[in-house]
Formats: sequence, C-alpha cells, structure tokens
Amino acid sequence: MSGSHHTPSAGAPTLAETIAVNLARSFSDGEVGFTGLVTGGAAALFGTSIPLAAMALAQAMHAPNLTILLAGWSHNPDLQSLSVMPDSEFDAVLRDLPCDAQMMTYPGPWSIRRGDIDFGFSSGVQVDAVGNINSVCVGDPARPKVRLVGPILQPEHMTLFGREYVMMPHHARRNFVERVDYVSGVGYPGGLDGRRRLGLHHGGPEWVVTPKCIFDFDKENGRIRLKSVHSEADRQDIAAHTGFAVDSTGVPQTAAPTLEELDLLRRHVDARGVLLGRREA
Amino acid sequence: MTPSTSKVGSIADAVALIPDGTRLAIGGFAIYQHPMAVVRALIRAGRRDLTVVGTVSGNEVDLLAGAGCLKRVETSYVGLEKYGLAPNFRRAVEEGRIEVVDYPEVLSFDRFRASQENLTFWPCDYLGGTDVLARNPDIKIFTCPITGRSLQAVPPADPEVVVLHAIAADERGNVILPRRHLLPQGLDVIMARGCDTVIVTVEKIVPRALVRRHAEQVQIPAYKTRLVVEAPWGAHPTAVLGRYATDDAHFRDYVAASASPEGFAAYLDRYVHAPADHAAYLERIGAERLGALTELDTL
Repeated sequence: MSGSHHTPSAGAPTLAETIAVNLARSFSDGEVGFTGLVTGGAAALFGTSIPLAAMALAQAMHAPNLTILLAGWSHNPDLQSLSVMPDSEFDAVLRDLPCDAQMMTYPGPWSIRRGDIDFGFSSGVQVDAVGNINSVCVGDPARPKVRLVGPILQPEHMTLFGREYVMMPHHARRNFVERVDYVSGVGYPGGLDGRRRLGLHHGGPEWVVTPKCIFDFDKENGRIRLKSVHSEADRQDIAAHTGFAVDSTGVPQTAAPTLEELDLLRRHVDARGVLLGRREA
Repeated sequence: MTPSTSKVGSIADAVALIPDGTRLAIGGFAIYQHPMAVVRALIRAGRRDLTVVGTVSGNEVDLLAGAGCLKRVETSYVGLEKYGLAPNFRRAVEEGRIEVVDYPEVLSFDRFRASQENLTFWPCDYLGGTDVLARNPDIKIFTCPITGRSLQAVPPADPEVVVLHAIAADERGNVILPRRHLLPQGLDVIMARGCDTVIVTVEKIVPRALVRRHAEQVQIPAYKTRLVVEAPWGAHPTAVLGRYATDDAHFRDYVAASASPEGFAAYLDRYVHAPADHAAYLERIGAERLGALTELDTL
C-alpha cells in the first residue's frame, strides 16, 4: 500500500461493515466458505456481498489460507478486479474472472459429503424459533399462498456444511416466525439431541444475521436467542418486529470494527466500494 | 461399404419423440442454455401432461407451465435468477394446476447420476427433519446394511427423453462441449448419459473431420444420441456459453408480460404461436438483436 498519503479512513462504520467484521472474526484459517450468487438490492448485499467482504477481510487479517467459493464454484476469485458485482452465476463474466480453480461439472473439486465445506451462507423467506429456514412457499405447501423458488441447496447447507450463517436482508414479523411453513433447511428441533435423532450428526445454523441483530442458538434446547443487537434503537423495537419471543435484556451491542479492520476493508478488500457500497471520501 | 446413419432431423422430429405425458428432462440450468426452440415447438404442438424432471429449472419450465403443458415438476429450483420468481410457474402452482415435488439441489444432480448407473435409488443421509422428506412418498427410509444407520432412498430421475442444446455436433451425433465450460454444460452430459432417448439441438452441424480434431471435447458420443437438430440461436433468449449472451431485454419483456395471464397470452401469441417455426421466430427477434448478443469467446 502507498505509504506517504496514508491517512485513517474517515467515517463511522456502516452496518454492512460492522456485520462483515463480525463474520470475519468468526472464520478460522484454512476454512472453506461457500456463498451463492444472490441478486437484487438488500438480498444481494446480505447473501453475497457482505459474505465475500467478510471472507476477504479474514484472508487479509488472520486467515490467509481461507478459501472463498463464489457462487459455489469459483475458488478465490479476484474480487479487487471487479468494477461491478456479477449478477449471473454461469455466464462469461464470472467464467473469465481470474481465480484459483473452477468447477466444470458435478461432482467437482469439493466433496460436499466429506465435509470439505466448513461454512456457508444462505437465506430464506422465513426463519423460525429453532432455526429452520424456508425458501419454498408461504402457506400450505399443498396449495401455497405464495410459491417461491424451491429448496435449492438449503438442505445441504444446513447439514453437510460445518456451520451455516443465515443472512436475512429484512427483519419483519413475517420473516421471523414460530414455525416455518415448509422446512427446506433444518435447524435444531429438540436441540443437538433432536438433530441426532433425525440422523444429523454435522452442521446446522450458527448465526442468523439481520439488519437489527445477530441471533445464535442454545444448542441444548434448540432455541434461537439474541447474541447481539446492532443499536439501542434496534433493542427497543426488535420484539415488535419478531414473530417469536425474544429477550434483549442484557444482550450486548454488536461489536464495533477496529480502525485496522475498517482500514483494511476500505482500502484493500473493497477499495472500489463494489461489495459494500461507495462511501463519502 | 454401408454408409453410417445420419441422426440429423428437424424440430418436428424432436417433438414427435415427446408425446403427451412424457417424462422429460430439459438441459440447461436456471436461465442458461435451454433448448428453447424445442420448448416453443412443444407448446405450438399443444403438448399436455408432461412431467419435467430437472435440477435447477428456469424460464423453460415457466414457459411450459404458463402454456398449460405440465402436469408435474420434480426439481430443486424454478426461478429466473436476477429476473425474479418464475411468474407463470408460480401462478400455476398457486392455482393448483401443477404438482411440484421438491428435491435438494445436490440430490437433484444425484438422481441423474443414479439413472446413469442404472441404480434403483440414490442413498442419502441428510433429509431428516425436512419437508423434502416428509412430503415426498417416493423417498423411502431404509437401514444401511453395513452400518445399521437409517438412510433415505431417493428415486432416480429416469427421464424417458432428454433434450438439450449444445454448440456443435456432427451428423452421426457426436456432441462437442466447449473446452472452457461450466456446471450447466457438465450437468447436460450427466443427463444425457442416463437416458436412452437423447435429442440434441445444436448451433451448427459440423463435419466429422472437425469433431475428430476435437475428440477430447466429445462428451456425448454418437451412440448416445437419437436425434440431432441444427437450430442456430436455438437457446434464445437464454445464453449459450461462448456463443451468445442472455437476451436481457427479452427477459425483461417476458417478466413484464407475465404479470397477468392476458399479458402472458399475448407473449405466447407473439413469440410462440404466430411464428410457424424456429426460423420465423428468429425473424421476429430480428438479426440486429441477435447480432448484438454474439459473444467472441476466443481469438
């Protein structure tokens, strides 16, 4: 980096930066992280851009041997060469983005059932009180009120990956429900014992990240709980926007980035603001 | 000497191999490289009660769903990626006109691997607690004879017919994949290997001599193919990797038209029913638009 003109980055951390930093700190060196290519506004930010920034920041800090799987198939893509986020999973733009390895068919470079993938990111229209997620439908699955895309890779994300970060771009009662209308990715019904009774000995949701808070789980009883709130305002109205019971008493605020982390994010990981948005200079 | 058999035929020949009620697999992935010329011809021919068995489905299923051709869909996803939910599929499912059987993505690939290996099921251990398992009577629980663990037996895809779109083949039916390809083209090959009636539409039918210079790229050899059809721009409006890009404007028009049944009916009239065949469809799209989509892959 150029030394003589180096001044600390201006400006308080954005929510996206704070979330990226908290995610980055939770990754270990040598892990493999898998993100899909989500498109459109807040969904793309939470589903793809923040995870990419978090993994690239971890690589720059404490995890130089972490592997990023963009769209599940491009290994360690050159994110800094991007002038705009790719919005197509399998077209020439992503094919031609420089990277370490590409998946050309299935089965490919990673052995999903052997535990090659340490963590992943997914989303859904609903998350429930035990961490089940739903991307299939709203209402009775036999005759849904809203038909969505289908289970896609969620069953695999929530069982075959080492752990899962559920990234929810909106925090409203209809998204955080006591029981999802369709379980496309399974959480902790009955806790870890409950998962074992279902034949699941691996993986599961670790965090649920929203614009208001980060949830984690009491894995003994299987219940979702607040891990941190992003602000005092969020603490005040979170219960009103959540369809299952939450108690924010004594829950800490989400940890703030250090100056070093912010500086790396802004000058190195995302110097062009492609991932986390352009900031005022 | 007896000459070798040509597999070359027409889109009408392809449609004749796909009667009402066929269990059909359609190549391509999401909004990439579907054999759309055949899909439009199936609608034009008024096909009914098709079952589509797929992996990651997109506008091909949406178009068939809106046109009333489908009875059942077995797949992991039906959507239009950056263009949003599949509007006609969504409407058909919400109105109870199509049965959907949801499979996880990797298992949807493995179902075609099971067909390739002629297995009666693919074993799985990770469906416990999901509605994928709870709502699908075709997935059976069994005890692993080696470990005693409870496992799930997932039925193979077993399509009666596979139709896919590739860049080139020779008259005998040797199909060339681009050297630099991605998962969608790889999955097409798995689909083709698990079926006895494989129809391939191609951008160009090329001389056998050209195929023999690229033999390492022939992943579907002639004895696997039943019919080869030359259909330039045959995947439009989806992309063909290394040949042409997604027709972004067409997709946006498609989604806008599909906001209502009437709008979609007008789309069908304009792009499916009014053009008598694929050549007429291409005339309707126009040379200027098609030319602008061309991708220069290698120099």
